[in-house]
Amino acid sequence: MIEKGKISASQMGKMLYLAILPTAILTTPAITFKFAKQDLWISPIWALCGLIVIFVSLRLHRMYPGLNIVQACERIVGRFPGKIIGFIFPLFYLYFNGIIVREYSEFVVGAFLIRTPLIVVSGSIVLVCAIAARGGVEIVGRFSELILPAFITLFLLIVVPIIPDLQVTNMLPIMPEGIRPSIEGAIVLQTWFSEFLTASFLLPFVADQKKSQKSVYISLLAVILTLIVSNLVTLLLLGELTGNYTYPFLTVARYINLADFFTHLESLFMAIWVLGAFVKICVFFYVTVLGAAQWMNLSDYRPIVFPLGLLLILFSMWVAPNFQELTHAIATSVTLAIITLFVIIPGLLFCIAWVKRRLWIKS
Amino acid sequence: MGTTKRKSVLVLVTLSIHALLLAGCWDRTELNDLAIITAAGLDLTEDHQLELSVKIYLTSPSSSSQQMGGTSGPDKGAAGLSVVRSAVGLNMADAASRLQQLLSRRMFWGQDEVFVFGERLAKEGLAEPMEFLTRHYAPRERANVFVSKGAAKDVLLLNPPIERSVADMLREMSKSQTGLNVKMKELAQMMAGRAKAAVVPLVEIESEQENPTSFPLIRGTAVLKNGKMVGSVNDRATRGIMWLRNEIKEGTLTISPNNTKGYVSIQLLRAHTELIPHIQGDEWSITVRINARDDIVENTTDLDLSNPKHIKKLETELGYDMKQRTDMALAKAQKELNADIFRFADAFYRKYPKKWNENKDRWDDIFPKVKVKLEANPKISRPGLTGKNLFKPNQR
Repeated sequence: MIEKGKISASQMGKMLYLAILPTAILTTPAITFKFAKQDLWISPIWALCGLIVIFVSLRLHRMYPGLNIVQACERIVGRFPGKIIGFIFPLFYLYFNGIIVREYSEFVVGAFLIRTPLIVVSGSIVLVCAIAARGGVEIVGRFSELILPAFITLFLLIVVPIIPDLQVTNMLPIMPEGIRPSIEGAIVLQTWFSEFLTASFLLPFVADQKKSQKSVYISLLAVILTLIVSNLVTLLLLGELTGNYTYPFLTVARYINLADFFTHLESLFMAIWVLGAFVKICVFFYVTVLGAAQWMNLSDYRPIVFPLGLLLILFSMWVAPNFQELTHAIATSVTLAIITLFVIIPGLLFCIAWVKRRLWIKS
Repeated sequence: MGTTKRKSVLVLVTLSIHALLLAGCWDRTELNDLAIITAAGLDLTEDHQLELSVKIYLTSPSSSSQQMGGTSGPDKGAAGLSVVRSAVGLNMADAASRLQQLLSRRMFWGQDEVFVFGERLAKEGLAEPMEFLTRHYAPRERANVFVSKGAAKDVLLLNPPIERSVADMLREMSKSQTGLNVKMKELAQMMAGRAKAAVVPLVEIESEQENPTSFPLIRGTAVLKNGKMVGSVNDRATRGIMWLRNEIKEGTLTISPNNTKGYVSIQLLRAHTELIPHIQGDEWSITVRINARDDIVENTTDLDLSNPKHIKKLETELGYDMKQRTDMALAKAQKELNADIFRFADAFYRKYPKKWNENKDRWDDIFPKVKVKLEANPKISRPGLTGKNLFKPNQR
């Protein structure tokens, strides 16, 4: 096996939590609000894709222990189709990570370092992530274990001081048009929930396999809860304006005012963002590198880390010419692509594997 | 051996370079490179351009000759630490960049807590400047907004004696909650909300221009409809607006009860307003329930206020006074301005979302006809430190 490191089940849970949440907090309230209006805090509950994807990853790993979805794929559908899918997955991870890197740097540049060139911001985060990913899954796992408490503390430091400014009436009436708007708002969120497929790539390295199932589901629950809280806070503060701000949660952080001296806390949000995005990019980058190395049958993935890092920076430039196109893509084509690739294909694979196993047992 | 040594030297060199860069000295911005804006004023010029004036707090008033470009003179007030500069442009961003040309320091909006809009501009419409203020990253969502009677620039030019600058004065005055306290976020919410009507506190200048002790005063309210100022409400009716908007937090009410001479003053401790909408057929009505708790602070009448019977009577009188004030505000808003500044639209939407969606385009026709029923429940809880008036032994 290429990777010799081991992580604990709880580390995997934390990695997944941090690999999904940061960008979801940042951009989803605005997109979800367009469909769900004041029900946007209900939308994260409809995490259907997350459930499917987690179920599929866990069951596939039980059928083919020690193999991730790409490796299992070769066993299920044969070598050649398996190779094709095995190529698509790392490529898509690379593309998707490009979007994440772009989102990260667009936010840093758009809201804080106005004059800094985009490439400097994305280049530096990719360099750091490449070094971390080169260290292996253990390093990334420990980083998420280290960063999670800081992440949650900072998150609470934004959510708690804003409470006096919240207006509960903003969330009323609850579900005036039934549950449909909230489900429509949840469609975009499925992109993020689908990312739980990453669990499939991490499961083979988990030392205490028995706990892994529980850990992944707790991670999903934590993501849903955090999204409910962040969406609710945004809604109760901004009300109708939620959909018009590019980064509603940043506006929440900007609005905090405790006793006239604890103000202008957007730097806290920046800290959350950098910490979260670091783990997120690391995990996705690691999966890309691992998938690519496995596809090429390399004995070690380290030599391709930096070349792929360079490619990642380029991808982050290529994904969209500007921020508007980026958000448009995320709300439309990327959602579709990621649901196809991360939900439908693994789902089909699982069905085939399940049928094959049945037939095999019968014969 | 040789390679490890070379390696460690290389690491050391890299680290030292980092140490130099990470200190951030190479692109530092010192405090005295910034023009810290504490208040901004916006006016409309004669030829329909936007004039942006800013009050700049001088962090180190070393530059003695502040007369630049002849746009406006420096303040000669007691504080002498702030200057006002202004520039004219096609819109906010244009004016801001022109203003930058007049300054040797870079404009810094982060501390700008006050935005004053001139009355002329407010009548023309606030949507345009608000667009910039919400889109640009520097202006704060928590900044206070005001509409000034006359030019906003004149308000900025004041140097009130109590506070460090006019910005602090305006901010503290609106924080005291005796008048409306409207933040930029709230103004944006009101302007973009269902009712499309907004209220902004009106600022007036007390005493003459050149007088060094003249100061700004929040008096009354500007009412905006569809982003344009359509009228103003006086101080007394403003209290009515605040009652209806559930924004009264403190205050003193003075009434003169029937059949007596003199006045009773009570201090407001707590107040809460609830809007309860009803739709019956085609008739839209709303019940306003105001609960308030008060303390007596002064009594110059011949009523003995330690007597519960008188307290009951007083409460009725208080309710009547509150009704008068709210009626004034309602009459102005419903009959004269047709601007739903009390968030009735939101209340109806929350209770009758379907009915609202059917009728939302007709709201301008419905609002003036909404029947408002006031249920004021002022409760007087304590008589203060004395029961009977010490100096009027023969109180009833």
